[in-house]
Amino acid sequence: MSKTKIDPLVHLNSNPCKMCMPLGSVTAFYGIRKSISILHGSQGCSTYIRRHMATHYNEPIDIASSSLTEEGTVFGGEKNLMTGLRNLIEVYHPEMIGVSTTCLAETIGEDVPAMIEKFYYAYPEYKDIEIISVSSPGYGGTQFEGYYRALSSILANVKMDTAPNQYINVILPPMSPEDVRLIKGAFEAFEIPIILFPDISDNLDREFEKDYKKLPSHGTSIDEIRKMAGARMTIELGMSFQKASPGRYLSDVYQVQYLPLHLPVGIRDTDIFYELLSKLSGKKIPERLKSLRGRYADAMIDAHKYNADARAVVYGEPDFVFSTIRLCAENGVMPVVVATGSVVLEMKEVIENEIRALADRFMIRNFDIVDDVDFKTIEALAVKNHANLMIGNSDGRRMEEELHIPLVRRGFPIHDRVGGQRLRSVLYEGSMTFMEEIANAVLSRKEVDFRDRLYHKYYKQEEETLLEKMNKDAVIRTVYVPVDRKKMEEKTRSHPCYNGCASESARIHLPVAPKCNIQCNYCVRKFDCPNESRPGVTSHVLSPEEAFARYKLAKEKVKNLNVVGIAGPGDTLANFDSTRRTLELIREYDPDVTFCLSTNGLCLPEYAQDLISLGVTHVTVTMNAVDIRIGAKIIQYVKYNGMLFEGESAAAILLSNQLAGLRILTAAGIICKVNIVTLKGINDLHIQEVVKTAKEIGCYMTNIMPFIQVKGSVFENLEATSTQDLAQLRKECSPLMKQMTHCKQCRADAVGTLNDDRFKEFDYSEAACKSVYNG
Amino acid sequence: MNGIIEERKQSIVLKKAGMENSGITCDKDSVSGSVSQRACVYCGARVVLNPITDAFHIVHGPIGCASYTWDIRGSLTSGDDIFRTSFSTDLRERDVIFGGEKKLEAAIEEVVLKYQPRLIFVYATCIVGVIGDDVEAVCKSISEKYAMHVIPVKSPGFSGNKATGYKMACNAIMHLLKSYRNQPVQKGINILGDFNLAGEMWIIKSYMKEMGIPVISTFTGDSSYEKLIKAPSAQLNVVQCAGSSMYLANLMYEEFGIPYIKVSFFGVEDTTESLLKIADTLKDENARKKAEEFCAEQSERVEAIIAKYRKNLEGKRAAVFVGGGFKAISLIHQFTALGMKTVVVGTQTGKKDEYEVIEKIADKGTVILDDANPAELEHYMVEMKADILVGGVKERPLAYKLGIAFCDHNHERKHPLAGFDGVLNFVEEINSSINHPVWDFIKSEVSSYE
Repeated sequence: MSKTKIDPLVHLNSNPCKMCMPLGSVTAFYGIRKSISILHGSQGCSTYIRRHMATHYNEPIDIASSSLTEEGTVFGGEKNLMTGLRNLIEVYHPEMIGVSTTCLAETIGEDVPAMIEKFYYAYPEYKDIEIISVSSPGYGGTQFEGYYRALSSILANVKMDTAPNQYINVILPPMSPEDVRLIKGAFEAFEIPIILFPDISDNLDREFEKDYKKLPSHGTSIDEIRKMAGARMTIELGMSFQKASPGRYLSDVYQVQYLPLHLPVGIRDTDIFYELLSKLSGKKIPERLKSLRGRYADAMIDAHKYNADARAVVYGEPDFVFSTIRLCAENGVMPVVVATGSVVLEMKEVIENEIRALADRFMIRNFDIVDDVDFKTIEALAVKNHANLMIGNSDGRRMEEELHIPLVRRGFPIHDRVGGQRLRSVLYEGSMTFMEEIANAVLSRKEVDFRDRLYHKYYKQEEETLLEKMNKDAVIRTVYVPVDRKKMEEKTRSHPCYNGCASESARIHLPVAPKCNIQCNYCVRKFDCPNESRPGVTSHVLSPEEAFARYKLAKEKVKNLNVVGIAGPGDTLANFDSTRRTLELIREYDPDVTFCLSTNGLCLPEYAQDLISLGVTHVTVTMNAVDIRIGAKIIQYVKYNGMLFEGESAAAILLSNQLAGLRILTAAGIICKVNIVTLKGINDLHIQEVVKTAKEIGCYMTNIMPFIQVKGSVFENLEATSTQDLAQLRKECSPLMKQMTHCKQCRADAVGTLNDDRFKEFDYSEAACKSVYNG
Repeated sequence: MNGIIEERKQSIVLKKAGMENSGITCDKDSVSGSVSQRACVYCGARVVLNPITDAFHIVHGPIGCASYTWDIRGSLTSGDDIFRTSFSTDLRERDVIFGGEKKLEAAIEEVVLKYQPRLIFVYATCIVGVIGDDVEAVCKSISEKYAMHVIPVKSPGFSGNKATGYKMACNAIMHLLKSYRNQPVQKGINILGDFNLAGEMWIIKSYMKEMGIPVISTFTGDSSYEKLIKAPSAQLNVVQCAGSSMYLANLMYEEFGIPYIKVSFFGVEDTTESLLKIADTLKDENARKKAEEFCAEQSERVEAIIAKYRKNLEGKRAAVFVGGGFKAISLIHQFTALGMKTVVVGTQTGKKDEYEVIEKIADKGTVILDDANPAELEHYMVEMKADILVGGVKERPLAYKLGIAFCDHNHERKHPLAGFDGVLNFVEEINSSINHPVWDFIKSEVSSYE
């Protein structure tokens, strides 16, 4: 069965490009010293988030749950939360607890701050533990908003110390622990005392220690948080797209000077960042940094031409996307799709400003900037804008698999690679690693595919040579199996398709082959139309065992049943296991019956020898053109060896395999027939050539067939072939080789003689189908 | 142990000599604040149904429920792969206020009109009942309007634990099967409770083929609508993951009169026993003969390889923390076969009778826990000097932080652990983690230059 291609849907989020608020909230609390989180809601939320974070950070992630049950949902979860807090304290001894709400708690209207008050009242011994309530319903936003809500709630709930001090608050957006360490190191290098808020660098990327501690003991301490109200200033890194800006809060409430700053990703923003640090500290930029910058500049030049080939999809959390876009723009990596799952209306304008200039330089017209989207939408845009690279988290891996576009992994979550917690993007050194990974992804693709790509694009003149080569190969590979000539002639005489219906012989077509490996423009395969008769149609696909059963039944009921044919409804060789099994079962039961088979020939070289061994004596190949330019107009695609080919390369592969396969068969004495569908204005003037080729490689006869209009096919509006035209064509070709003139274009499940198709008597599936909705 | 929550104490027992049936507390709601390893009802339902390859699985709820369960499990398909796409109604603030029913209706209709699916599951998550959405009514009306199956899965997270979710999934399957009850019995079996992780269903099916036993339907690994609806015609149900599918087996027995047997394909012993049991139950002497020959041949192949590993593993100590009791039992057998001792055994949702078996087969001194939390796992793994933990990915970093080897026996793995090949993968994985050179280096400290 083929796979269903899912396009973006209007009313459904298909493959989410976001997670939910509690995850962000929990992440923020991981940056606070000796803090732990409890989610007020049902058990699953905490387990899912634990699993998601554990596989990204490769750290034990302990998140408690108030484990709301039916009772808690109906009567309120106060009891659950109180017990939960007490249990959590007994096991973990935290200094701070983040109580983040979930969808459920918010929907049933839980008053968490009041419950916390009650808890302090009931357990006065725990009064020194900071218990912070964060309103973070999953339906209210993504992890990005949840992260900032938690930071703001902490600032609003901790008792602040407004006495002025020498610290500078540095507020970080969601980023990797490694990046946090780099930022921290930069301030240290300039000896600027800071309060990093939050600081996940050690808690979510811990050392291996001899004694494991349940509760990680690094991060911003509560004392430090108190001092934030008296700090010299607040530097808030990131774009402040979010509504709840902790820096603005400190400025509004405590008049701490507020300085929003881009994340130092890329050369411009890192320069600005270091200039600020230099100014704040009164120290010069050290030589070490200058040489780092110089080396990064050198790396940018080294990679610039490869980067210019990139057409990138950048997706993820808003700050990640914005800073990555800045790095891309500097390096000539053209973002053709910029996407975030969060709702950030103001993102579009700033990003457009950023990439418009690059688009103009590179003459690129199409790019899209979207918020609040899912991956199916991103995927569709990526195809539309011809993206060749993705930059973002592991959730893009399905697209990577689907579109065969390399993915440079950054952001959260990374759960299909190790080291997600240590990916770097900030400052000169992080930018360098990040930029070079992007360039290398472009290169890795180019190095792998440039030979084939250019070959298929330009190597046209000599396709003929390719065909000849294939034909030669086929001759060499041919193993001659002595076929009993006399028996063969007899079988041909009694075969209704080959003797012009002269005999009383009946045949049965067994529909065991549903899949097809090529798509012809005139074909739509349907399984369930008992009133229509044409190739490719069947009422029911059978398993080999069912086919065998049907054969046995037909053998009893239909006299002179001498021929078993396999004709679809797809391609017999694209389903070779079923075809083989069916023939084996029947052969064991009936050693004399004639086997015939039809195919598009794509897999014929591969299976020709098997067909001979299975005792197939008559093979029909549908070959509508022997010129790949004409062939390319007839087929949409060819799936061969796991690759999809279109256009002339598809036609070339198909044709060379048809010819090579037929040569193997004719050399072994197999009776081969070539079917040609007459397609007006496409191959009707070329049919004689096909017939000549068939003759040349030793086929027995050709069957020039009329074209039948099929609704829903590409050729649905192509004119049907008239009887006169057909007769004329056959007449013209009859001097060239034997022509079949009595073809009835049988269904894939035909039974009986050509003039009396009795397939309906044997369709036991139909009755079964009808009962489906009657219970 | 310091720091064991009072309410949890009855869920931890120590196997003593001559004592069985200590009456461990299990099958209960998790204790608040205990950091349970369990997921929720929705998760349980999703685990069971999601491997149905050509169904549309629509999560009616806020985005998180869909986001955290999207394509993280290793169920493989030989057919369509619609199940790998996540569909969610992505409820927002305004839907919580005004209700999400209209949104759901529009969503299902869009899918129906665009893809003409035969089968859609709609998972009701925590808040949809609370905001008053009647998911069942929506499903029913669309099913009737378009003459296809839109099946509601009642899975609000708070309505029980993961095991409740298994039941809800089984109910949803029965909802479908009941429409196809009147089918003549045909030779063959259904396989229940295997999810084709890393192709395990294909392995089991190949054994059935070897024995000449047709497989009619599979629940739910690599299944499709067309295959599922044939299930009522089977002679026998064979239940691999008892935790998730015994309930379905019981329902199918009541509704269609199909008898069932419990089997396990983990370990040489269990696999062999299970294959023979299937042949015997079907009273198929030919199949039994073939199974005997096949198992003898396979056991010989596998045992020869295991023998080489055994000297590397003899006497090592294992901790087991898995989802269900039946799997834990199989693992204890497997470790015993390798000459290893199982020193800690726990499950998320084991049943009373399963814990009784565990207590019976466990060595003296083994710690047995139900719904353990990380603190308890940490404590007992250290105290019992475990060399390796068998569990799911959430537990992995904890084992590593304690310097303990790890084997992933959960849904995310990418190599099969069932059948004879699975035994080899299992032994190899155990050996390569336990006997890995890293442990030699990380446990010693850096010498000081001072």
